[in-house]
Amino acid sequence: MSVQAPAAGPMRAARPARPADSWLRRALRKHTYLFALALTVALLAINLAIQPNFGWTAQLASFAPLAVAAVASAPSIISGRGGIDMSIGPVMTLSAIVFAGYLAPAGLGGGIALPILMLLGGAIGAVNGLVIIWLRLTPIVVTLAMYFIVIGVNLKLAPTPVRLDDANWATSLAGNLGPVPGPLISLAIPVAIWALLGLTAFRRNLYAVGGNDATAFTAGVNVSAVRVIAFTLGGMFAGVAGLVLVALVRTADSSTSSSYTLIAIAAVALGGTSLAGGGGGITGALLGAASIFLVQSVLADAQMPQTWLPAVYGGLLIIAVVIGALVSGDRVRRTS
Amino acid sequence: MPTRYERLPAGEVLLSLRSIRKAFGATVAVRDASFEVRAGEVHALMGENGSGKSTLVKILSGVHAPDRGTISVRGTSHAAFRSPKEALAAGVATVFQEVLATPNRSVLDNLWLGADGVFRISRSQRERRRLAEEVLAELLESPPSLDTLVGDLDLSDRQACAIARAVLRQPSLLVLDEATSALDFDTRNRLFAMIRRQVAAGAGVILITHRMDEVREIADRVTVLRTGETVDTLSGEDWTTAELVRLMTGQASLVGDAPEQELARREPGQVVLRTRQLRLGADRAPIDFALRAGEIVGLAGLEGQGQDAFLRSLWGLGGASGTVERVEGERAIPVPSKYAARRAGIAYVPRERRAESIFEWMSILDNFTPPTLTRDRRGGLLSSRAALTRFSDYIGRLRIKLGRPADGIGTLSGGNQQKVIIARWLAADPAILLLNDPTRGIDIGAKRDLYALLGELAERGLAVVMLSTEVDEHLELMDRVLVFRDEEVSAEFSHAELSRETLVASFFGAEEVAR
Repeated sequence: MSVQAPAAGPMRAARPARPADSWLRRALRKHTYLFALALTVALLAINLAIQPNFGWTAQLASFAPLAVAAVASAPSIISGRGGIDMSIGPVMTLSAIVFAGYLAPAGLGGGIALPILMLLGGAIGAVNGLVIIWLRLTPIVVTLAMYFIVIGVNLKLAPTPVRLDDANWATSLAGNLGPVPGPLISLAIPVAIWALLGLTAFRRNLYAVGGNDATAFTAGVNVSAVRVIAFTLGGMFAGVAGLVLVALVRTADSSTSSSYTLIAIAAVALGGTSLAGGGGGITGALLGAASIFLVQSVLADAQMPQTWLPAVYGGLLIIAVVIGALVSGDRVRRTS
Repeated sequence: MPTRYERLPAGEVLLSLRSIRKAFGATVAVRDASFEVRAGEVHALMGENGSGKSTLVKILSGVHAPDRGTISVRGTSHAAFRSPKEALAAGVATVFQEVLATPNRSVLDNLWLGADGVFRISRSQRERRRLAEEVLAELLESPPSLDTLVGDLDLSDRQACAIARAVLRQPSLLVLDEATSALDFDTRNRLFAMIRRQVAAGAGVILITHRMDEVREIADRVTVLRTGETVDTLSGEDWTTAELVRLMTGQASLVGDAPEQELARREPGQVVLRTRQLRLGADRAPIDFALRAGEIVGLAGLEGQGQDAFLRSLWGLGGASGTVERVEGERAIPVPSKYAARRAGIAYVPRERRAESIFEWMSILDNFTPPTLTRDRRGGLLSSRAALTRFSDYIGRLRIKLGRPADGIGTLSGGNQQKVIIARWLAADPAILLLNDPTRGIDIGAKRDLYALLGELAERGLAVVMLSTEVDEHLELMDRVLVFRDEEVSAEFSHAELSRETLVASFFGAEEVAR
């Protein structure tokens, strides 16, 4: 790694400080998820207006798989260098298949399944990360290869959809666990892990590596370890997402392997996280996922044809990205 | 502030480098470097461009591992620091020449960057804030809030943050590589006060700077590097600027053993390009420069003093205020963009051959044709035969050594690749040729060919502006040399006035020796 900046232009000149920005720009720069928050609030209001008996638990349960998938995509993206993990969707499906087709029939369908599925997803994420740092390959190539490999494994394990036994506890993740709505528990797992990591130095290191890895390296951060852990974390969350998905639809179907990858990345971007890394977070990922989910719900309620849905997602994404670019203004030059 | 290392008594050897060597491929950056830094001293490291200062700093900080030699810190020998983390653990903290920061993190996070493990936190949040505030208050008159994003700070404050980050690691050896260049005057004085305090407490400081006055002000000893070798270490009492300059320049020619043949000097013609009130920085002195047909003008100075930005602005690549005009007889045509530059007959050969010039996977011929491709149209289709005919002309004139024009450009040596790039732009019939350090990393034979070619082209009226990092190139080739310092033209020499001593002294702002 070199810390030599590219042949520089007039970088030595004392640059006057950024002119005083409006409070809005400052706030948007510090909390990149604000656009997604506003969008979520507005869409939720519309939803509640046109659908007075909004079933909170059922809606949250349908929302949870996308939400957890978005959270799973976030850590590697934050770690920078184009750290997009394409394998999140297939790993989710793998997790669902392993749970419904193997763990539950073998008597491991209880709470023990959760750590097992997280280990499985985490192992795949770790392989992604290790290949990326050892062979110095672009993350998108490595995770795209993993995407196809895992899809192949899914087809082998479940040539036909596997039904989940209705009596399984996991189905309550889509209903109620005692007095608590089940989907809140599903969402709480990755949020709690992320919050716990905030008590360690890891999250600070992750943002530093994503923001400028040359700086982090020369300051003594173990850049490789941080990257590998970011991918591992994404894999673990994808394992959780698979369980949440099978709890909702009660079948594990290998043909759905690819359905979540791109929409989860879109949710992260919509939530204000720069795909260049070093910014954003899981609050943004959750709000981005909520926006996508609620748009679809509003369109359905308004009897709009669902065929337009992807185009609406695309439009929203462009708006969010443009806002992000305008807000960050004259971006500080990145040394890489 | 508590210290992490037991301080050595002043005068004890803190750091000792023995016979360090480092090569990158065929280029030897550091040939044989040995010196010692004692506890309680400020040790300046001086040398021209390419003398190996930056490589040595990167070896000390664990960015590069040396091929040979030993580094010992406080009596413990290391063959190499394998990572910056290891160097920091040994008590060596470095502030790099480029201001390194993670712009969208807070000042606090930037100051403590790397002090933790991957998960393990080394200090409580309260202690982090307290120590960070202490150091910033010492360095800056009005320190920014610790929660400000570093990207929102001005350059001087960002550099102060990089220095504070190193100081917070409580190093026994602090390495400052051109760390003062971006600082405002007040902060620089505060930094020097801080350095004096650290040194009084038994730390050692290695200072690399392009300013002779700073060396004079704060350094206890000076080690001089020349072409990758440590030449001598002088103590504070017994050095003079003239002596330093002599040590930095040496007697040996960097270009090689070839006899310094005197190129024919030409009478310059009409003005073809001029700048008016060109400023490379907000409060820098304006540059009014006129280039005449048939002259070769050199841009000199230590790296990053504005010569690169100046050359690019001649090519219409903004970034500077003021105007650049192409002069044709009575007419003056402004050059606001690189497209305008091309229309005005200005050709630019960039510095980074691989990144900015060549198409690595394409053939030699295809690397030659891009700007002149449309000339090879025959009935609406491109004729490769026509391109080949044009190219063969340059193969002879530039003495390009190649197999077949259809071979990949990668089959050529660096020097021959550079010749192909120069041929590419000469084929566009420019009136003005801008060259950004074109001979870097190419062999002596190819350099000689290029000098001869430039002389010949100038004879025919081509105006050439060439940035070079090699002193000898200026001495031998240029009709006139502009020296850049702090983004201003600090000196100008005609060919007759040039000598190694005057030129190098002017790099360091020591003109009194020069005259």
